[in-house]
Amino acid sequence: MNPRRTWLALQAALWAASTTAGRTTFAAPPADDEVRPDRALAFPRDHGAHPACRIEWWYATGWLAEPGSAQRHGFQLTFFRSRTGLGGDLPGQQVPRQLLFAHAALTELKPGGHRHAQRLARWNGNEPLPGHLTAAASIQDTALRLGAWRLARRPNPKGSVYAARLAAPEAGFTLDLQMASSQPVLLQGHGGYSLKGPPVPAGGPAHASHYYSQPQLAVIGRIDTDGRSREVNGRAWLDHEWSNALMPAAAVGWDWIGINLTDGGALTAFVLRRADGQPVWAGGSHRAAGAEVRSFAAGEVSFAALRHWVSPQTGGRYPVRWRITTPAGVHELEALLDAQELDSRRSTGAVYWEGLSELRDLDGRRVGLGYLEMTGYVGALRLG
Amino acid sequence: MWRRLFPLSLAEWRHHPWRHGVAMLAVALGVALASSVQLINHSALSEFAQAVRSANGEPDLVLAARDRAGLDEALMGTLSADEQVATASPVLEIDSQARPTTDEAAGQAEESTRRPTKQPPGGRTTLRLPDDPRVSVRVMGIDALQLARVAPALMPRPASGAAMTAAIDPGLAWLNPAARQRLGVADGASIELQSSTGWHRLRVGGSVAAGGGPLVVLDLSAAQQHFQRMGRLSRIDVQLVSGVDREAWRMGLTLPSEVQLAAADDAVQRVSNLSRAYRVNLGVLALVALLVGGFLVYSVVSLSVAQRTPQLALLGVLGLSARERRSWVLAESAVLGAIGSALGLAVGAGLAAMALRLLGGDLGGGYFPGVAPQLAWPLDALFMCWALGTAAAVVGAWWPARQAEALQPAQALKGLGQGAPSAAARWPVLAMLLGAVGLACLPPVAGLPLAAYASVAMLLAGGVAGVPWAVQAVLAWHGHRGRSAGRLGNGVLAWLAWRRARFARQTASATVAGVVASLALSVALTVMVGSFREAVNEWLDTVLPADLYARSSASAAAADQTALPEAFLAAAQGLAGVKAVQASRVVPMTIDPRQPAVVLIARPLPDPARNLAMLGAVLPARPGELSVFVSEPAAALYGWSAGAVIRLPLAGAERPARVRGIWRDYSRQFGAVAMELGDFQALGGDRRLNDLALWLEPGASVASVDAALRRLAGADHPLDTASTIDLRRISLTIFDRSFAVTRYLQVVAIAVGLVGVAASLSAQVLARRKEFGLLAHLGFTRRQTIVLVTLESLAWLAAGCLVGVALGLAIAVVLVQVVNPQSFHWTMPMQVPGWRLVFLSVAVLAAGGATAAFSARRAATRHAVQAVKEDW
Repeated sequence: MNPRRTWLALQAALWAASTTAGRTTFAAPPADDEVRPDRALAFPRDHGAHPACRIEWWYATGWLAEPGSAQRHGFQLTFFRSRTGLGGDLPGQQVPRQLLFAHAALTELKPGGHRHAQRLARWNGNEPLPGHLTAAASIQDTALRLGAWRLARRPNPKGSVYAARLAAPEAGFTLDLQMASSQPVLLQGHGGYSLKGPPVPAGGPAHASHYYSQPQLAVIGRIDTDGRSREVNGRAWLDHEWSNALMPAAAVGWDWIGINLTDGGALTAFVLRRADGQPVWAGGSHRAAGAEVRSFAAGEVSFAALRHWVSPQTGGRYPVRWRITTPAGVHELEALLDAQELDSRRSTGAVYWEGLSELRDLDGRRVGLGYLEMTGYVGALRLG
Repeated sequence: MWRRLFPLSLAEWRHHPWRHGVAMLAVALGVALASSVQLINHSALSEFAQAVRSANGEPDLVLAARDRAGLDEALMGTLSADEQVATASPVLEIDSQARPTTDEAAGQAEESTRRPTKQPPGGRTTLRLPDDPRVSVRVMGIDALQLARVAPALMPRPASGAAMTAAIDPGLAWLNPAARQRLGVADGASIELQSSTGWHRLRVGGSVAAGGGPLVVLDLSAAQQHFQRMGRLSRIDVQLVSGVDREAWRMGLTLPSEVQLAAADDAVQRVSNLSRAYRVNLGVLALVALLVGGFLVYSVVSLSVAQRTPQLALLGVLGLSARERRSWVLAESAVLGAIGSALGLAVGAGLAAMALRLLGGDLGGGYFPGVAPQLAWPLDALFMCWALGTAAAVVGAWWPARQAEALQPAQALKGLGQGAPSAAARWPVLAMLLGAVGLACLPPVAGLPLAAYASVAMLLAGGVAGVPWAVQAVLAWHGHRGRSAGRLGNGVLAWLAWRRARFARQTASATVAGVVASLALSVALTVMVGSFREAVNEWLDTVLPADLYARSSASAAAADQTALPEAFLAAAQGLAGVKAVQASRVVPMTIDPRQPAVVLIARPLPDPARNLAMLGAVLPARPGELSVFVSEPAAALYGWSAGAVIRLPLAGAERPARVRGIWRDYSRQFGAVAMELGDFQALGGDRRLNDLALWLEPGASVASVDAALRRLAGADHPLDTASTIDLRRISLTIFDRSFAVTRYLQVVAIAVGLVGVAASLSAQVLARRKEFGLLAHLGFTRRQTIVLVTLESLAWLAAGCLVGVALGLAIAVVLVQVVNPQSFHWTMPMQVPGWRLVFLSVAVLAAGGATAAFSARRAATRHAVQAVKEDW
């Protein structure tokens, strides 16, 4: 096994954390980090990390445009955290109790380019000393650092402003964005407790996560591509989710959308798929502007593929046009660029599709713009 | 024209294959020695460099800790936050020892199934392997997440089936091939690493590709924890984003004082320095052998020219100009030298391959532990060896070629102009000898005694050129006695021999040049090695006053991790049969990153003048100042002198210390600093110990105290123990082994010299057939002719021996007084082992006489009458 492959495998382990849970013994997480139906989310604490939980991510996606230009770009920036189960009670800053890794992607719809980059580092899980570590996450609030990459929240009158700077000189782009909330936090599922699988009959822990979203974030900032720097503004969506398991054992991957509706609403829908494409579980929510959030039951959401795109790199066959049925209506979703796959098999090992897409009503009018995420199309998203 | 002359040369070679063959072999020998030393060293170094490169990877730059205390890992935060930094990979390096786990607890389920019968019945007792299972290893704590791009050879490669996060698992160890082989463990087995806090068990997770000596790779966090280096790193390998200007980035960097920018090749440079003196000395010995070869070429070509005088004269009459005659002779020698050198390269490669297999990359010198090099080919150096060999042959032929040029064809055809004793010019001899003296006084060049070696070469050249002169002087003195002896009987023969030896003294140079050179070389080496051995012997008396010695590890580098707790001293003192115990702490100390580390020895020094082999007086201590005593090599390497205040990295800070004296140390070539143990412990609070010296009660058995001491130390601190007698024996054995190569060289040199005598004598006897024919007509028997020739040769050989011994002593002075201090930084009193020199001279004389008799007998079997007829 060559070193690269090992590294790759290490990455795969993050995704596969759920399947190894049975093999590694974990101390029971502190009550604060437990995933429980009755745990009410409290902010700003729950903007921060939950290191006792197995996996966690902060996922920002959206579109950007230069002022006065109709030309749109898509962007994605993600910080993942994974608890390794290693290190025990070793002291020191270098103990790899946690892995932090991050992905950044920039899609230029014309001429149609998709760049992405990633970072990976260890974190001992303790509250960081200022500036001392390669990577760290705060448990007080969203404040993530991974090498030179940053994502940090600070409060503002409307709620939050997220500042992100991710410079990826190896891929020739830099994202430097401020994302300000224009709406309150959107708690997914039941008050932020989101089921990811059917309830377990024996009363064991269900597959579930704590999950909230920050839709309709107003973005201003700057992007650099190949040394060319541009002022941009746009709209974004941020998810923060943590759980002890990625998905039920029967699932191989998921399809997910988070759409900022043009009327100010926010639509979330996801389905966890089996290998044969049949759903294991589904969910989502709709919040009309200024209204309460309406959570969807598993049976209320369905995804139907209308058109596929085959990745020339990985051979993955991704549906890039969907009919999505939710209690908020029947919509068609289509990728604005087919080739938005993140093929990181040669570095971080993960392969998934994450791209800017357009939501249309049945008359073909655009009603929203946001991100579609599809995983598990190139091998099951787990350890072999 | 050359095409027509070539068949003539070919005919000459065909007629005298032995003579020219020997000259060629002599050149080949010199080239073989020189090239094999080059090859061996280059192979060892390139192997080491490759291991270093693969372990260090190829970062753009390396931020390294100034000393062993390391650097603060907070620098990682600064570097990784820099957008111009692509990768910052932290490394913590530690020298320690590893052993496979041998006790019961190590086994656990998986292992007990594999090795079911190794436990003694009912034993919770720790198993001791019959031989010491400890292996000196380099431990590297790494971050597998940052490493891949910088140093892939250090990347953990998990055994199949391992958990995917294995590469960062702090409980796993990754072994390189050398460590795996030395420890003899498989994946999944356990090993233990020794640190100052005890032995730490780790499971073998898989391997790393890095070559070189035994290496154990751990996760950084485990290395920091087990070796008590929390928050510390040895270095950070930095790769910059492509397009970032390295210099500009460096300029903008403010480094803490404990960090320095290191070049990636510092380690290679350091190892190169490690063996440099040894290598250069061997190389120069080889060059001296080449010089001997050159003299042999001189002998052979001189005789060949003398013998071919009629041929040359005829060619001269036929129109071959003087200059062309010279060129022809030189060209012949060049061809001879070129072929000999090529042969030498082949032999050298064979020797090198054999030596690498048998002795390792340092010819037993101990500089490259654990490196098993492949033969590498330094083409430029090999070409140099070849060119030098060819040049030696050409230079050797220079004088005979001039003779061929100066030939008066008409006179020579008549057989005149030969053998007439022309007064040898003395000034070149004097100039060369004086030049040698001057060169010996010059300082070293780049740390190497190059001028001194030039001086040795000059001495040899001047000495050989002075042989005729010496023959004249010796025989003039000897002549009076010879004449008086002549009256007593068998006088005519001796008188004839003496007269001829005296008047044909120009030929003497050619005959005995090889003997003079080789004897001089042998005498010089004998005196030098003898003096050194005697000095080491005396030094051992001073440094080994106790009865029994124990140390925690064989290598000073690992001393930090293998140290004994302070309480051990008191416990050792309480052992039955122990009168007194003295403990010392040994710590490696880096003064200059490009030089090997200096050894700091903290030990009780109640009376430094007696505790250390001091050179000169001990300066009085000054209150409030830290006193240190530096070894002779340390003083020479770092320019420290007695009375000076030097700055030493002690207990994490640069501290001033007064040098109160310089002591003789033959065991640590790269320097040592001694200080009072109490002072050292007061500085940093480090109260651990490494070495113990034990004085026993009268009548106490060394073996039983040794055993009790080992029991006391227990399995956690395996000790190396040795009695004084053992240590002395081991030291001298090591000494003899490292100088064994010089002994072989002596034997070879003398053999070459004798072959030279044989070759030139047979040539001469053949050349003098006319003379012998005449003597036969005058009534000489064949036996008498042989005796005559033998006596003549003996006269020359005697003179040659005298010159050789004198030259050898002169060269020995240069070696002892100049070469050793300049290259190894130690001095020694010169000792002349008189009897060994007498034996050597007599042996050479006897061997020379036998050779002469044998050659004369062979030559004289030709028909004398036939020979005389040739003239008519």
